[in-house]
Amino acid sequence: MECSFGLTGKDFVLLAADTSAGRSIIQMKDDENKIKALGPHIAMAYGGEAGDTNNFADFVDRNLRLYQIRNHTPLLPAAASAWIRRSLAESLRSRHPYSVNLMLAGFDITDSTSHLYWIDYLGTKAIVPYAAHGLGQYLALSTMDKWWTEGVDKREGIEILKKCVDEVGKRSTLKFKFNCILIDASGIHHINLDSSDPIAEMEQAGKAAEVINPNPPLDVGITA
Amino acid sequence: MEYNGGSVVAMIGKDCVAIASDLRLGQQSVGVAMNFEKVFPVNDKLYYGLPGLATDVYTLREQLRFRVNMYRMKEEREITPKTFTHLLSSTLYEKRFGPYFLEPVVAGLTTPTELEPKPKPFISTMDTIGCITTPKDFAVAGTAQDKLYGMAEGLWEPDLEPEDLFETISQTLLNAVDRDALSGWGAIVHVITHDKVITRQLRSRMD
Amino acid sequence: MALFDQRPAYAHEPTVAPIEHRFSPYSDNGGTILAIAGADFAVIAGDTRQSEGYSIQTRYARKVWQLTDNATLATNGFAADGKNFVKRVKQRLEWYEHAHHKPMGLKAIARMIQTMLYGRRFFPYYVYNILGGIEEDGTGAVYSFDPVGSYEREACRAAGAAQSLVQPFLDNQIYFKNQTPAPGAEAFVPGRLPMATVLGLVVDSFTSATERHIEVGDGLEMYVVMKEGRQTTDLTDEGQLPAGMKVEELGSMGEGRGEKTFLVSMPLKRD
Repeated sequence: MECSFGLTGKDFVLLAADTSAGRSIIQMKDDENKIKALGPHIAMAYGGEAGDTNNFADFVDRNLRLYQIRNHTPLLPAAASAWIRRSLAESLRSRHPYSVNLMLAGFDITDSTSHLYWIDYLGTKAIVPYAAHGLGQYLALSTMDKWWTEGVDKREGIEILKKCVDEVGKRSTLKFKFNCILIDASGIHHINLDSSDPIAEMEQAGKAAEVINPNPPLDVGITA
Repeated sequence: MEYNGGSVVAMIGKDCVAIASDLRLGQQSVGVAMNFEKVFPVNDKLYYGLPGLATDVYTLREQLRFRVNMYRMKEEREITPKTFTHLLSSTLYEKRFGPYFLEPVVAGLTTPTELEPKPKPFISTMDTIGCITTPKDFAVAGTAQDKLYGMAEGLWEPDLEPEDLFETISQTLLNAVDRDALSGWGAIVHVITHDKVITRQLRSRMD
Repeated sequence: MALFDQRPAYAHEPTVAPIEHRFSPYSDNGGTILAIAGADFAVIAGDTRQSEGYSIQTRYARKVWQLTDNATLATNGFAADGKNFVKRVKQRLEWYEHAHHKPMGLKAIARMIQTMLYGRRFFPYYVYNILGGIEEDGTGAVYSFDPVGSYEREACRAAGAAQSLVQPFLDNQIYFKNQTPAPGAEAFVPGRLPMATVLGLVVDSFTSATERHIEVGDGLEMYVVMKEGRQTTDLTDEGQLPAGMKVEELGSMGEGRGEKTFLVSMPLKRD
């Protein structure tokens, strides 16, 4: 059983995904990272059929990287979401469909807007202010319905996310650990949800909290 | 069809047509988004609605945008509602043995030409593999289809003016989707006239 | 020797194939019923087509039954169960009248129907019931039931094959759903519409359902139960009824308080 959340705010997007990996009742790992940075301001949380997930995530990652190499500019969130959706939709009617659900979060630095896309293995895409996959849908969508408001700031956003994580801890018989990132104008940052003030911790850590960008801009004279 | 939910209705008026959809996107009983429009413009006198499987809504919409653009460039004119209906129909029939799970509805006005100086307002609908029906009154599709039939049959009358047509299609849609668990969560209506398109979001029950 | 290869027909082994002999005690006979309550009257209506699958068994089968001077019952679903259920309800009403020297009140009939239906919880009457009439306080009332006896008093209800077509229309026109009164205008109150309006809505509901549903059509029977004091002319006057209606006053069934029941009928499309 898997669980992931996404939440947009005024100048940021949050993504959280559980870190378990296993099969049916057996857990084999409790520190599996299921969030992947795809560019300087874009990341996705993914889950689904084991094997398909990492393969598809790598496929997306490498293709976005290729785009950036060819065009000297990263794909913006809206365009990336369209490409990923199409890949899944084409895969769905192929001989070996990918069984991967994902949430794509991005910050568009050209107009300073945050974006969140809820995408499932069929290629269904929803443009949403907040969303959940897996167990989170049944347990925490209502929590987000209640607490989320237009233009929440980073601290409020984290508080809402914590409420969701707590809800899953309280109402589910499974134990989850969560991995969390925050994307804003300055890039992708790790968030420690167990901290009393995750934002202060993130700001204090500075560079140390940054998620390593897999697709750094190339130094070829023209930059992104 | 019942996986994501959603409904579309179109109606003919006096020198106008209207087309409307709900805004829900669900995954079975769970509501995911309340901003999922199912009606799209082709040009400013032609709209179409695609209720059904959400992934196919995007896929077919992208496919149609490509084909309509190609038509526009080759023919150097806008596509007519009738031609678009046949384009849509053949696009669906291409996938005869692995269909798109959609039941499209088309609504538009034909620009008068010398050959056809007084064209009638046009609506059409088709099944998942593109079998066309062109009703004289209204067309309905989606998970609230039977409810929409009951409402539309009771409220619609011939030769409605744009504002009356707006009221008729809005009441038809709202009351139908309120009795359907898989449709609702807001609605959007487009009334197409020869000189403008009136688009309004409706406030509705959100349960 | 080939002569002996084929054994004569009578000597063939009997085929042993499992033949299914399962008796299904239920059927669905289509049709639709509908009832609307007014301030001092109730209309209980049903179409008269009875079908099984794509075959029409008869174009005239009653689905609406007058029970007392102030109660009329509509049944829909499995026609045999419906008939038998009405028969037993009428029998219970007769026993009640013998025991208490008065006809049973509407809300008591409603409760009795629920006990009778729930009594068959594990072999139910496959019937949706709608009971309409005049309450003891003189108000028009509609009670709707599910096959096992869940019931509720409402201002209107549709049931049967075209329920999904008719009920949203009623929500809109009777409960004024999704309608807002003009600024300064009086608030909408369900269950207060004049009789002519209600009858018009019933006719529209059934003509719509007939148009779009194959199991609805042939004829429409509307039973109008009026509170004492209301006149026959309330129904027969010019403008009260749509054209082409046949009106028949049904005589008193016993010691009511002077409520009147009328049967208003009209043809529906037969295709």
